[in-house]
Amino acid sequence: MLIDIRNLYKIYNEGKESEVRALDGVSLQIDKGEFVAIVGQSGSGKSTMMNVLGCLDIPTYGEYYLDGNDINSLNDKQLARIRNREIGFIFQGYNLIQELDALENVTLPLIYRGVSVFDREDMAMEALAKVGMDDRAHHRPSEMSGGQQQRVAIARAIATSPPIIMADEPTGALDSRTGRHVIEILRDLYRGGTTILLITHDDGIAATAKRVVRLSDGRIISDKPQEVDWA
Amino acid sequence: MNLWQAFKMAFKSIAMKKTRSFLTMLGIIIGVASVVIMVSVMQGQNEKNMEYWKKMGDNKIDLYAYSWMDMENETGEKIFDYCLSLSDLVVGVTPKAEINSTITIQYGAKTLKSNDWENMDYSSGKDPYLTMLHVYLGSDQFGICNNYTLASGREMSYLEVEKALPVCVLGSGAKEQLFGFTDPVGETITLNGDPFQVVGWYRSFNMGEENYTGSQMDNAVVIPYTFNRTMNNNNTIDQYVVKAKDSLSTVEAMTKLDSFLSGLFPKDENGQSSNGYYQFGSNDSFVEEQEKANLMQSLVMGAIAGISLLVGGIGIMNIMLVTVTERTREIGIRKAIGAERSSIITQFLIEAAVICSIGGLIGIAIGYVGTMIAGKLMEDVFEGIILMPEPFIAVGAFLFSVVLGIIFGMYPAIKASGLQPVVALRAD
Repeated sequence: MLIDIRNLYKIYNEGKESEVRALDGVSLQIDKGEFVAIVGQSGSGKSTMMNVLGCLDIPTYGEYYLDGNDINSLNDKQLARIRNREIGFIFQGYNLIQELDALENVTLPLIYRGVSVFDREDMAMEALAKVGMDDRAHHRPSEMSGGQQQRVAIARAIATSPPIIMADEPTGALDSRTGRHVIEILRDLYRGGTTILLITHDDGIAATAKRVVRLSDGRIISDKPQEVDWA
Repeated sequence: MNLWQAFKMAFKSIAMKKTRSFLTMLGIIIGVASVVIMVSVMQGQNEKNMEYWKKMGDNKIDLYAYSWMDMENETGEKIFDYCLSLSDLVVGVTPKAEINSTITIQYGAKTLKSNDWENMDYSSGKDPYLTMLHVYLGSDQFGICNNYTLASGREMSYLEVEKALPVCVLGSGAKEQLFGFTDPVGETITLNGDPFQVVGWYRSFNMGEENYTGSQMDNAVVIPYTFNRTMNNNNTIDQYVVKAKDSLSTVEAMTKLDSFLSGLFPKDENGQSSNGYYQFGSNDSFVEEQEKANLMQSLVMGAIAGISLLVGGIGIMNIMLVTVTERTREIGIRKAIGAERSSIITQFLIEAAVICSIGGLIGIAIGYVGTMIAGKLMEDVFEGIILMPEPFIAVGAFLFSVVLGIIFGMYPAIKASGLQPVVALRAD
């Protein structure tokens, strides 16, 4: 079991009138090599779910085991290591650093990983090539279209070859054609053995996943595999 | 991530945000430069003041002792001998007795009068006292005791003084009035008709035209004190100048003189002495006073400099707080892709240190240039003033700014890097 959460709660303003239960007792198991879509309306808790699963946020209650490690027991340094090596993030807003060009953005996680100067540029270029952005290596985010920025963000996510990719509305800010291209890249990664977690509100996008988990008001209301035509 | 990487990242970040970096530096530049300039100006002024006072003072003890009992200057001899016995503390001792009666001084066709209170001529609009001559009785150490320096010739010799040979040394004012620009050494002048050979003359104290003490010293004609009998009606010599080796010796010599003199003039239970009176003081106490005044001035200027540093510091603080808050999102991104907290803090630390150091160095450079300019401007007002930036202050201001910049550059980074990445990412 790669991801194993049990009875997970994320509660804001607990005990107050304004209490919000973004995650309200969620349990979910995901195996290595799955392609899972987490689907829900805005406010259903799906982003919170990704943040918690991606160790970007800590749950209020509940257990979380990632590849057998009890996440709740890890310190800041160990969590940084997990975010760096185990998980690649793709955000809706790309979250590239504006002052750095494409290559530098993609190199960043490799720097934090401690990859040597000699290897990391090659590795970053390789990642850029996989998303077809190697010809834009020295463009800054402001000089690229949304789709290009997202592809650079994907390159950054896969640069360290993490076993898990988590994508939060990766196509949300893109037109449908560019969006399809991004989904295509995710499929390729899946074929290569990477576990994919796709968070979306769009059933059309969710239809590409092999398993769909539906969230509503912080709870899982359905969790079932589906047939896809591409696999 | 190693330190070299952190350095590269920091430099990259500085280079990418030139305006922000410059604004941050500006506070430091202004703070450091103003402190350097202000402190230099203040110190230049203080030194100028001290120079003035040291000309007058500088390890000099003025001694006044008068005995009602003796008519033959025995007390004077005792004091003189006692001072000579303090040779490990004292470098010279001389009577400094002005002949109060008017003496006619002649050189060639020129006739002048010393202490000529009868015929004070105010018609020129200038105080005639400033050019009035004064005849002093002194020892061979008169020059050194009164901080004179010889312009040419020599001092009176010990033997000349002992044997009452008719020699004299002139102050620069007396020399100018009698001889103009010609060298007086070897010439003979007459005092009340008696010939005296000029053996040397002293440089001017250069204390300004309206300075009475200075003009009095410059207009001196010094003859051996052994002429007291013939030239001064054998009046009691009651004033002496003792020159000590250094300021410590001055204090020690004064203590010894005090116990010696209180032995000569024992006091009764009312604190009165039946046989004489003595008093002494050192111009060093003026120097001390001046030092106190300077300290006061230093404190005031220091406070002003401190305030300007503080203002600069607040500037640094503001811009640092703003930029880092602005960069919380960047910190979130870096955390999300696996930056450890320490990497982020290191990066921001180096960034702040580099920006502040560059700003500080520019500040020092501007401070030095500004000091030079201030020195040029002040030359007209304070003749001979020399402004030199104090390296210690420059370094101090530099360190203060850098430390402040680092603290305020780090504090938000420490805070932001401690956030959950998702919280930092949401910041905008």
